[in-house]
Amino acid sequence: MNCKEFEEYLTLDLYGDFPPEQRAAYEAHLAGCVNCQAAREQVRSLHEVLAQRPRIEPSPDFLVECRQALADTLDRERLGWRGLIRDWLSFLQLPPQRVAPRVAFALSLIVFGFGLGWTLRPGAARVVPSEPGNVTTSSLADADFENMRINDISRVAPDPKTGDVRITMDAQRRVTLQGSLDDPRIQQLLVYAVKSYDNAGIRRDTLDALRARTKSPNVRAALLYTMEHDPNVGNRLAALDAVRGMEGGDDLQQSLTEVLEHDSNMGVRVESVDVLVDRVEKEGRDEAVLSALERLATGDPNRYVRLKCASALRKLGSDGFQQPDEK
Amino acid sequence: MEGCLELAGNVPEDTRQLSGADEQALIRRAQEGDHEAFEALVRAYDQNVLRLALQVVHSPEEARDLYQEAFLKVYRSLRYFRLEARFSTWLYRVVMNVCLDYLRRQNTRKEVQGPESEDGQPEYFQTVPDERPALDPERAVHSKEIGRRIQAALQCLNPRERLVFELKHYQGLKLRVIGELCKTSEQTVKNCLFRATQKLRTELGDLV
Repeated sequence: MNCKEFEEYLTLDLYGDFPPEQRAAYEAHLAGCVNCQAAREQVRSLHEVLAQRPRIEPSPDFLVECRQALADTLDRERLGWRGLIRDWLSFLQLPPQRVAPRVAFALSLIVFGFGLGWTLRPGAARVVPSEPGNVTTSSLADADFENMRINDISRVAPDPKTGDVRITMDAQRRVTLQGSLDDPRIQQLLVYAVKSYDNAGIRRDTLDALRARTKSPNVRAALLYTMEHDPNVGNRLAALDAVRGMEGGDDLQQSLTEVLEHDSNMGVRVESVDVLVDRVEKEGRDEAVLSALERLATGDPNRYVRLKCASALRKLGSDGFQQPDEK
Repeated sequence: MEGCLELAGNVPEDTRQLSGADEQALIRRAQEGDHEAFEALVRAYDQNVLRLALQVVHSPEEARDLYQEAFLKVYRSLRYFRLEARFSTWLYRVVMNVCLDYLRRQNTRKEVQGPESEDGQPEYFQTVPDERPALDPERAVHSKEIGRRIQAALQCLNPRERLVFELKHYQGLKLRVIGELCKTSEQTVKNCLFRATQKLRTELGDLV
């Protein structure tokens, strides 16, 4: 072994990755070469110096913060345009041998759909120019979602007479889409808007449109999400109002209890008490709700909320609850 | 380290090692669009990913960005993952590519941070408390200075050398595993590590 080879093995030696078959030659060279002994000492010292660099351990809070940010990003990913497009075009991402029959099937569907659309043209989803001049029209079926590059949603307007909803947005061109609330694509757009759009007014309009379709699992989940997480108090209250008519379920009860116990706004907490009481009266006694109310009746920082909870417990006939003196 | 790629460090309480079968089941469910399954996969690995990102970029904001970018890429391409491959290797390869891209961008923009940021604020690296016992103030100052020198020296390495060195020296991975991550031979990794060590010897020669 010469000095050059020795230096190459030297790095491995200090990391414990040394090939055993070279050990004897390595040791023999080291014993007889003063320069390599010095080099070994120098690399050993280098490792000691490098060991002084502190290890950075992510704190639990930072980890939680990152997980939350990732969850939000993934939500946007699932509900955003990329998610929509991926869902719609997912068959194109299959292995090639599985694409051909699906493409053939898709083409058949297109031909069939075209025929059907032509036949039923007057009732088809239609495009409504919202402002003459700068508005481009395109039907929901024609809309090129992939290339739309939406910058802004300026209006969401449900039509109570027809049950349709009209969505006006600024993309590369301003377009208005109109279609039935039962159309899954319309629903996906609205769910995206209510959960992720940054304009509180648009989120509220969207919420108003969605509340008519609480039987859809996606809409239901979006309303519960809004009730718990929307940054705007008015929207959280509107979502609370919207869930009054919903069918019961563990998800609903959990969300309501979460709002009752953790919402930062006392008005929202008070409203959640009313909704919970209504539900218990309709669906029967629920120990989890009662114990949450009991906790809040004694522990909520706001006196009115405490009184409201105590009153709710009395109304629900909770046994054994002693209302603390409120002065 | 042999069976499952594991980076050094403490495992958080909510991070449980998944058995092979559990992991495969989770991957299958995540590939079918099950969000909770994907979240479980994330939680099994994300602390290690975050630790590596922090170690590479030394900034919590940028580490969070790398963490997000890596898991978003994993989410987007999970459907292409073949179950016969090892998930941890595939995941860390994605993470490594994200880190490499970051380091390359830093090099390209010539914005490699010096030992201190432009506004004079200490960088995150310097704000991490040194928990080693009984450091007197003088020694603490000396230690910070050495930390700055090491950071500056590491920035003299090219992105690949930097990452190979990080994975070997600070994360303790085997050369073979690093080779798998880099999609290269163990010999190439060895050479890379050798070059990195030589450069650090030159840069930190006055300290050793």
